[in-house]
Amino acid sequence: MRTILAALLLSPLLLAQQDVRTQTLANGMKVIVQEDHAIPNVAMYFFYKVGSRNEHPGATGVSHFFEHMMFNGAKKYGPKEFDRTMERNGGSNNAYTSNDVTVYTDWFPSSALELMFDMEADRIRDLSFDPKMIESERGVVYSERRSSVDNSNAGMLSELAEAAAFEAHPYHWPVLGWPSDIESWTMEDLKSHWSMGYAPNNCVMVIVGDVRFDQVLALSRKYLEPIPRREPPPPVRTREPEQLGERRVVLNKPAQLPIQIFLYHVPDAKNPDMPVLDVISTILSQGQSSRLYQRLVDSQLALSAGGGVGEALDPTVFRFSITPRSGVDPAATEKALFEELARLQSEPVPDAELRKAKNQMLADLYRSRKTIEARANLLGSYEVFRGDYSKLFTADQEIEAVTAEAIQRAAQKYFTPKNRTVATLIPEKPEVK
Amino acid sequence: MRSQAMKRLIWVLALSASLGAQVKLPPYTREVLPNGAVVYYMQRTGLPLVSFRVLVKGGNESDPAAMAGLASVTAELLRRGSAQRTAAQFSEQIDALGGTFGAGTDEQSTTAYAEFLSKDFNAGLALVAGALLAPAFPEEEVRKTLARRTDGLKTTKDNPGAAINSYYRSFFFGSAHPYGRPADEASYDRIRRQDIVDYHQKTYVGRNLIVIVAGDFDPAAAKARVTQTFGAVPPGAAYTFAAAPAPPRNSEPRVLLVDKPDATQTYFVIAQPGVRRSTPDRVPLILVNTLFGGRFTSMINDALRVTSGLTYGASSSVQMARLDGAITINSYTKTETTAQAIDLALQVLQGLQDKGITAEQLASAKAYVKGSYPTRTVQTADQVANVLGEMELFGLDRDEVDQFFARVDAVTLEQANAVARRYYRSQNLTFVLLGNAAKIRDVAAKYGPKVVEKQARQPGWAGM
Repeated sequence: MRTILAALLLSPLLLAQQDVRTQTLANGMKVIVQEDHAIPNVAMYFFYKVGSRNEHPGATGVSHFFEHMMFNGAKKYGPKEFDRTMERNGGSNNAYTSNDVTVYTDWFPSSALELMFDMEADRIRDLSFDPKMIESERGVVYSERRSSVDNSNAGMLSELAEAAAFEAHPYHWPVLGWPSDIESWTMEDLKSHWSMGYAPNNCVMVIVGDVRFDQVLALSRKYLEPIPRREPPPPVRTREPEQLGERRVVLNKPAQLPIQIFLYHVPDAKNPDMPVLDVISTILSQGQSSRLYQRLVDSQLALSAGGGVGEALDPTVFRFSITPRSGVDPAATEKALFEELARLQSEPVPDAELRKAKNQMLADLYRSRKTIEARANLLGSYEVFRGDYSKLFTADQEIEAVTAEAIQRAAQKYFTPKNRTVATLIPEKPEVK
Repeated sequence: MRSQAMKRLIWVLALSASLGAQVKLPPYTREVLPNGAVVYYMQRTGLPLVSFRVLVKGGNESDPAAMAGLASVTAELLRRGSAQRTAAQFSEQIDALGGTFGAGTDEQSTTAYAEFLSKDFNAGLALVAGALLAPAFPEEEVRKTLARRTDGLKTTKDNPGAAINSYYRSFFFGSAHPYGRPADEASYDRIRRQDIVDYHQKTYVGRNLIVIVAGDFDPAAAKARVTQTFGAVPPGAAYTFAAAPAPPRNSEPRVLLVDKPDATQTYFVIAQPGVRRSTPDRVPLILVNTLFGGRFTSMINDALRVTSGLTYGASSSVQMARLDGAITINSYTKTETTAQAIDLALQVLQGLQDKGITAEQLASAKAYVKGSYPTRTVQTADQVANVLGEMELFGLDRDEVDQFFARVDAVTLEQANAVARRYYRSQNLTFVLLGNAAKIRDVAAKYGPKVVEKQARQPGWAGM
C-alpha cells in the first residue's frame, strides 16, 4: 500500500478561522467567540494567566487552592450557590490549574447565558473568603493530593522528577503544593493571590456554541467590563540555569512494578522547535507502529512507554514514562530508550515515517475539534500559550514544515545525557507482619 | 483540578439530555443484511472524518466461567495479525492513514471502533474488516498479550483507585455471576489460542453483528462497500444471552477488606442490587441518582466533600447493563477518617430512604439532566453512533432519545420518591474497603458480622 504515503489533504475551509470573532473590553479582558448552533449549548472558558509558576515557597499550591475557593461563595451568590444555581439551570462546570494557568470551564444550555455572566462576574469581582469554607476546602485539596500523589506511584515519581529537573524555576514545585504548605495556607495568601492574578486584563474568555457575537459582547459590557483593570502578575524572573550533568533520583516504595520517568529540558510553547518536538513525540509514541511501542512494548520489555511535551509559558521538559515488565531490569528499558533517542540523532527519519507522523497529527487536528468544549479549550490555549488563537488555524502548516533535518538537529540539541533527569521507582517489599 | 469523579457519573447511565426543545436523533438508516448483520448509516458533514463502530453481541458475559477475559483478549488481538496482514503491517497502515483502531468489551458486547479521513473510506473499511473478520491470532501474539495482561494486573493493584472496582465486582456479584468474574492471573493462564479462535468463530458472525457507519461519507458508495464486506460474513448462530441469574441479595451486610499497607487513604464502595438497562424505572432513576450522587451538588458529594472536606469526591452510580446490576456509592478518605466518611455516607443514604426528595430538587435534576443531554448524546457523530448501537443492543427504539425530554418532564414526585425508596436501601449492604488494614480492621468490623480479608499483593480478586 504505497498510496499511504500521500499527504493528507486538509480542506482549507475547515482550517480557516471559522467565524471566530474577538473583542478586547475596555478593562483589558479579551473575548473570543465562535458561534456554533448545532446544539443549544455553550462552552464558556475563562483562562486566567496565573498558575503555580507565580507562587513562592511557603505558599505553593495556592493557585490551585484558590481555584477551589472560587466555587465557595461571593457577594451575590453565597456558599454553594454557584453550583446549585448552575445545576438548577441545566449547567455544569469544572476547573483546572497548571503551572501556568487557571482555567474555569462552564457548560450550559444557551438559555442560561446571562445567568452565567452574572455568576462569573460576581465571583471575579466579589469573592468572599469564609474561614469555615477555607478549612473544609483545605481537606478537599489534601484528599486530592492523597489520590493523585501519595497513593499514586506515577504521581509521586513525577513530583520527584520535576523537583530534580527544576532547581531554580518555580516549575520545581507541584501544582497541588507541598503538603506542609497545604496545611499552612492562610486567608492572606488567598487574598494576595486574588489581587495578583485575577485582574480582568489578565484573563481571556472564550465562548463557543449557541450564542451570537453581539449578544456576548453586550453581556460582556454589562457584566465584565465594569470590573476595573489592575496590575497583572509580576513577571516570573527566575530562569532555570542550564543543566550541566545528568541527575538521578530514586523513589523506594512498596509496589509490584517499577516506573521510570525521563525529563529533558526543552523550550517554551512559542519556540519554533516545538512543532518539531511534537513530531518527534508522534514518531516515538503514537500508535502501535511507533518506535517506542515497537521497541519496548511489543518486544515485551515494558507494559507501556511513551513521551511528549506539553505547552508551557516558560522553558519546560520533554517527558518519557516507562513501566518495565516484571522481571525486566529497568536498566534494560532505559538503555532501549536511550538507543532510540540516539537513532533520532544519528539517522534522518525516513520520508515514509515522517509522512506517517504528519498524517497522524493532521488527522488529530480534526479530531480535536469535534466538540464545543474542546474548541473552547484549544482557542484559549493557543491564545495564552502561543500568543494568538489564530495560530490554531495554521497548525497544519507548522506540522508540514517540519523536516527530517530539523528532527535530527532538535534530537541532538535536547536529548543529551547532560540535559536529562532520570527518576526511577524501585519497588520495596512490604514489611513482613 | 476541581473534580474528576463527577464527570463520569451520568455517563454511566449511558442514555443519558436543554431546557429548550426536545433533542432528536439526526436522520439515519437501518438495514438488516441477509446474514443477520444490522447496519446503520448516519451522515454528518462538517469534519472530513468517518468512523466504523462494530458491536458483537456477547461481551464479558459470554466468557466461559473459568476463562474470564476471553472476549476481551480476543478483542485486543483482532489487530495483531490477520489473513491479509501481520500485526506490524496493520499498525503501520492504520497509523499511516492517520486512522485509529481500538476494540474492547463491556458486560454484553465487544465494540471495535475505527476512524479515518473520509477520503480513506475504502482503505479504512478494508483494515477494519480484515481485523474483525479474518484475524489469524498468531500463537506468538496470543502469548505476548496474555503475559502483558498478567503484568498489567500488577499495575492495577499498585493503583488503589483502579483496583477497588474489580474487588467490588468480584465480591458483590460473586463468581457464579457473569459480572462477578473480573479477569485474573488464573483465568489468563487458562486461555489458549484455540479458545480464542473458537470464540471468534462462534461469536463474530452475521447474526451477532451491529455495524454503524457515521460521519462524512458518500451514502451510495458506502452502502455498496459495507454490504459487500459485512454481508459476506457467515450468519452463524445468534449468541444466546445467558439467562439472568438471580441478582445477589444479602441476608446480612457483607464486608471485604483489602489490605494495602502503604495506603494513606481508604477507598470504599458501598453496593446494593440495582436494575438492568431496560428497566421501566430508568428515567426516574437517572433523576434520583443525579440528586443522590450524580452531580457536584448531589447529597453525597455535598456531605462528604463540600460540607465536611473529608474527600475530594463522593458519588453514586447506577450500573446500566443487560442484566440486573448494582447501585454503588464510591469515595475515599484519609485512613484516620474512614469510619467518619462511611458513617456519613450511610446517614445520607438513610436520609434519602426516610425523607425522599422535594419537588424543588426534582425540578433541578430535570433541568440538569436535560441541560447536558445534547452535549453528550447528539453533539458528535461518535455520540450518535454510540446511541444507535445501544438502541440495537438493548432492543430500545429511537424514542429513547426523541422522547427523552418528555419522559423526564413526565416523572412525578411520587414516582421519583417510590424509586428512591425501592433502590436506595440502607440495609444488608455490601462494603468493600481498600486501605491500610492494620489501621482500619476495627472500622471494617463495624459494618458486618464477618470481614473477609485479602492482600492487594495476592493474585486474584475477592474469590475465596
